[in-house]
Order: sequence, then C-alpha cells, then structure tokens
Amino acid sequence: MKLLIELIRSTMLAATPILLASLGGTYTYYANIFNIAMEGMMLIGAFFAVLGSYLSGSWLIGLLAGVGGGLLAALIFVFFAVYMKTDEFVTGIALNMFALGGTTYLLRQIFSVKGAFTSSKIIGIPSWEIPIIDQIPVLGKLLSGYPFIVYLALLLAILVEIHIYKTKFGLRLRATGEDDQTVDSVGINSDQIKSISIILSGVLSGLGGVFLSLGYVTLFAENMSNGRGWIALAVIILTRGRPLGLLMMSLLFGFFDGLGLTLQGTMIPSQITQMVPYLATLVALYFYSKEKRPKEEKPNESLAV
Amino acid sequence: MKKQIITSLIGILIAFLIGLIILKLQNYPALESYKQLLNYSLFSRFSLFSTLNKAAPLILTGLSAAIAFGSGAVNLGQVGQFLIGAISVTVAGLFLNLPPVIMLPTLILIALLAGALYAGIAAFLKLKFGMDEFITTLMLNFIAQFFTLYLITGPLLDKKMFSPMTEAINRSAWFPNFSGLDFSFILALIILVVIYFIWNHTKMGYEWKVMGQNDLFARTGGVKINSNYLKVMLLSGALASLAGAMLIMGGVQHRFLKGIGANYGWDGVMVAVVANNGVIGTGLYALFFAMLQTGAMGMELETSVPLEFVLVLQAITVLFVVASRESAHLLFNRLKMYFKLRGIKSKEEGQADETTN
Repeated sequence: MKLLIELIRSTMLAATPILLASLGGTYTYYANIFNIAMEGMMLIGAFFAVLGSYLSGSWLIGLLAGVGGGLLAALIFVFFAVYMKTDEFVTGIALNMFALGGTTYLLRQIFSVKGAFTSSKIIGIPSWEIPIIDQIPVLGKLLSGYPFIVYLALLLAILVEIHIYKTKFGLRLRATGEDDQTVDSVGINSDQIKSISIILSGVLSGLGGVFLSLGYVTLFAENMSNGRGWIALAVIILTRGRPLGLLMMSLLFGFFDGLGLTLQGTMIPSQITQMVPYLATLVALYFYSKEKRPKEEKPNESLAV
Repeated sequence: MKKQIITSLIGILIAFLIGLIILKLQNYPALESYKQLLNYSLFSRFSLFSTLNKAAPLILTGLSAAIAFGSGAVNLGQVGQFLIGAISVTVAGLFLNLPPVIMLPTLILIALLAGALYAGIAAFLKLKFGMDEFITTLMLNFIAQFFTLYLITGPLLDKKMFSPMTEAINRSAWFPNFSGLDFSFILALIILVVIYFIWNHTKMGYEWKVMGQNDLFARTGGVKINSNYLKVMLLSGALASLAGAMLIMGGVQHRFLKGIGANYGWDGVMVAVVANNGVIGTGLYALFFAMLQTGAMGMELETSVPLEFVLVLQAITVLFVVASRESAHLLFNRLKMYFKLRGIKSKEEGQADETTN
C-alpha cells in the first residue's frame, strides 16, 4: 500500500514537467511550427529559476525568472524562425545547443562550479496542503502536499484546452496552422499568431523548467532537462496535441518514470530502470503508428485492385 | 557555391561580433581571448594536430547527419550510434587480441556494423510499422546512454578507478600516432572522400539526393524509396558509430569513460545543418568547430574565459550562418522580382510612349 502511494506520488511529480512542456508545445503544434526547442527552453527556465531564487531568496522571484528565461528563449526562436525565416528545425537544434552551452557556461561563470550547483540559499517552490482532504488517511497522502505547480499544471491543462478550442485566438491559431496565407488574406497577421504561440510554448516550458529545478529538486545540474523536452514532443505527436490527451499521456509517462524509480530498490540495476520511460515512448509510438497505418494504406490497396 | 561562402563568412562574422560583446560585457579581454583561441588551435604543430584530431570524429558525425538529412531521413540518433560504436570496440578491444594489422580493420568493421545495426532498429521500425525515425532515434539515444552506463558501472567496470570507466583496451587496438597526428584524422579524410564520391558520382547518391529534395518526384521517377532509405540509415549509423570507435581507438585514454564524447553527436548535427548537408561543407565546418573547441582550452588558460563559451559561440554561429543564407536567398529573390517588375513596367511605359507618339 505504502509502495503504491509512493508510486502514485512519483507519477504525479514526474508527469508535471512533461505536461507543462507539452502544453507549451501544443500551441506551436497547432500553429504548424516544427518546434523542437522545448528541451532548451526548459533548461534555460530551470537555470534562471535557480539563479533568481538564489539571488533573491524568494521562490516567487525564482519562478518569475525561470518563466522569463523560457520567454527569452522563445523570443530568440521567434526572431530567427518567424522573422528571419530560418528553418524551424535548424533554429530548434541551435537553440537547444545554445541552452546547453549557455547554462553550462553561466554555471561556471556565476557559480564557479562544474556539473551541478546546490545551495541552501535556493528556496524551493512551497508545497500545498489541501485543507480538508489533508485529514483523510489515504486520499490525503495521494492528493495533498505537492509543490503547487503540480496543481497549477493540472489546471493549465484544462485552460489550454479551452483556450485552443473555445476562443477566438484558438480558432485563429488553428487556422494559421492549416493555411497561414489564407489567414493573412482575411487580414489577420499570421506571423503574429505564430509568434504568440512560440512565446506561450516558451513560457510554459520555462515553467516546466522551474518545476524541475525548484520543485522536483532544488538544484541546477548540467543538462538537467535530460530529454524531457523530447518526450514532451513525442507526447504531443502521440495525442495529436489535444491538451486533455496530453494530460493522460504525461501521467502515463510519469507512471513509467516512477516505476523506474520504484524498481531501483530491487535486483534490476538503476541504469536499466531509467530506460523505462524511453522504452515506453517507443511502445506508445508503436501502437500509435499501428492505429494510424491501416487508414492510410487502404486507398493504395483499392488502387492495386 | 560562391554565394554560400560569402553568407557563411557573414554569419560567422556576426556570431563572433556577438561573442565579442558578450565577453566585453563580462569584462574579459575580448580580443585577446580570440587571439588565444586561434593561437591554441592553429599556430603551432601541436595545436594544429590537436585540432585535426578533434575534427576527425566530428567529420564523421557530421557526415552521418548530412547524408541522412540530405536524403530526407531524419536520423537524430548520432549520440546513441556514437556510444554503441564506442562500447562495441571497447568490448572487442578488451577481449580480442590479434596482431594490429588484423586487429584494427576488424575493430573498424565491428564499429561500422554495430552502428548500422543500431540505426537499423530505427529504420526497421519505420519500414515495418511506420514509426517516425525522428522520435525513435532520439529515444534510442537515451537507451544507448543508459545501456553503456550500465555496462561501464557493472560488468565492464575497472574497479581500480574512482569513477565509472572500463579498463584500457589492448594495445594492438590503438590507432597509430604520427608524431601527434592521430590516424583517426587520416581515416576521417578517406571516409570523406568516399562519401563525396558516393554522394556526387554514383546513381545511388543521386537517388538519395532526389529523395531528399522531393520524395514524390523520386517515387514517380522509379526510385526504390524503401531500400534506399534503409541504405541511408545504415550508412548514417555506421558513420556515427565509427566516430565513437575513434574516441576509444585513437586519442590517449583508450578506454570508455562515463560521459565520453558527450558533444560529438549533436555537434555533428549542427555541422551538417550549418553546411546545408554538403559533404565538403560538412568537412570544413567540422574543422572550424574543432578549432573552436581546441582553442577554447587555451583561451581558458590565458584569459580565464570558461571554455564552455565556445559552445555558445557555436550555436550562435549556426543560427546566424543559416539565417544569413536564408535571408540572402530571400533578398536575392526579391531583387530578381524587383528587376523583373521594373522590366515589365519600363516595357509598358515604352509601349505607352509608342502609342502616344
């Protein structure tokens, strides 16, 4: 029982950064922008969150700095991909490398350390004890006491769903993704819509980074996003960007991540259990492709007959 | 070609100017740092050879990415294929001991096969189940990372050492060293020439390029997409894997250390995109990146700029070179359009003049 509760808790914690990054990436997905920079945006967010929190002694400043870092990365992306018409794939790769190199550089430049920076002056995100549920024996342990970004992420999943499917901006966003020239022709600036979608992806990925460095743990380590941005991208593709689908899928990956952690106490070496989320992505992609495939192949078969 | 050289130079110049500003803002002697960067990467035999040695694996990971991207296969698995190549020659080098004449070719072959097989997993998943190689190769990177880490912390661990690494491989598997210049670089050059020939002078290379430019055209033109795709992925994987093998067989360590060659995979991807998937360009940018990375150590020594600075410089270079290439392209088209329109306009005016006359 205790193990099960641990597993569910670690599921929630591991799912949150992936959920946040994928919610961000879904905006660019709907705008038909090939955004692979979530990894870098997260990393920059994580770094600035630690920097802000360390210097000010306030988690709120840390959070704002982290989100600001994500925003900064997004603005670089906007400048190159939207206004300089640089290939989105190239921009994304370069931004990821910029984030990796830049945070490592600043880690040495500001904190004079290599690898990881940890200090008691880094103030983490506070946890929320939900008043009444807190008292209920099992449920309290399951639902209460997470860093509040976890709850925020769940709320955001619903808000993003509404934003994309029920608002004027969402309609314009999806229209831009379908055909940006048509959008331009009715007098809406599609470049602007694209820029906003990239900025939103930067802000949300940055928040994911804040959770990594101030919620999940309270430290910054080189390359600490460790592929979560890539998994977020896989999650988006697997669910075709539906925010509530992202929520389910992120929880699933969180579960496999948590499972890996729980298995660490057993005979299986930790390096093998750490592979689990990535293997799970491959398996999920297998089922996704299997489901997609017959539909695509049918016309060919009928042609062959 | 000439246009590409000019836009590259403009991009590099802008990137270096931005780097200069970053250094100045942090009160480093900026120009002196750049001077040391060049000093320690080019202007002595030792530093030049260090640059060339560093370039060797980078040329191969770059070619791996360039061949794949140029043929429309999004192989982002260089990191994983690199590690698989490195670990397979480590295992072979630990347990096999033959005379060098047989040992070296055998290990090179093992590396090529291992990488091809690892990339082949992604190709198989794509061809058999339609799974996007773009995601599968990425996930295989992480799997390779943890798998090799498991091997070097478990079964292959050198227990005398304090951090995870294997024992040194047998001496017969070491690449020869020509007074500082590693055999890796010569091997990389040979491979570059071979790839250049395949890419530009064979039917297969032509078909790959057509696939990269226009998949539909290739299909209707009778190119066997699936078998060519498989060949591209296998070759791409083999190249990245050989790069990993070079790090074990060449250099000075001759063992698999934790975090070995961490940057070579993604740097290769950057080299390929900045060179627009050209073979010669990939070789040149690999040399350029190797120069920056080698010089960085000297720069840190002399002016105490952290060597990670060049990682930032590399990324900025990629962004500005590609941006200036694309905007030069746009500008060129716009100018062409402008003159075309002016031509039509003046013709119309000419006709108008005639009618009034």
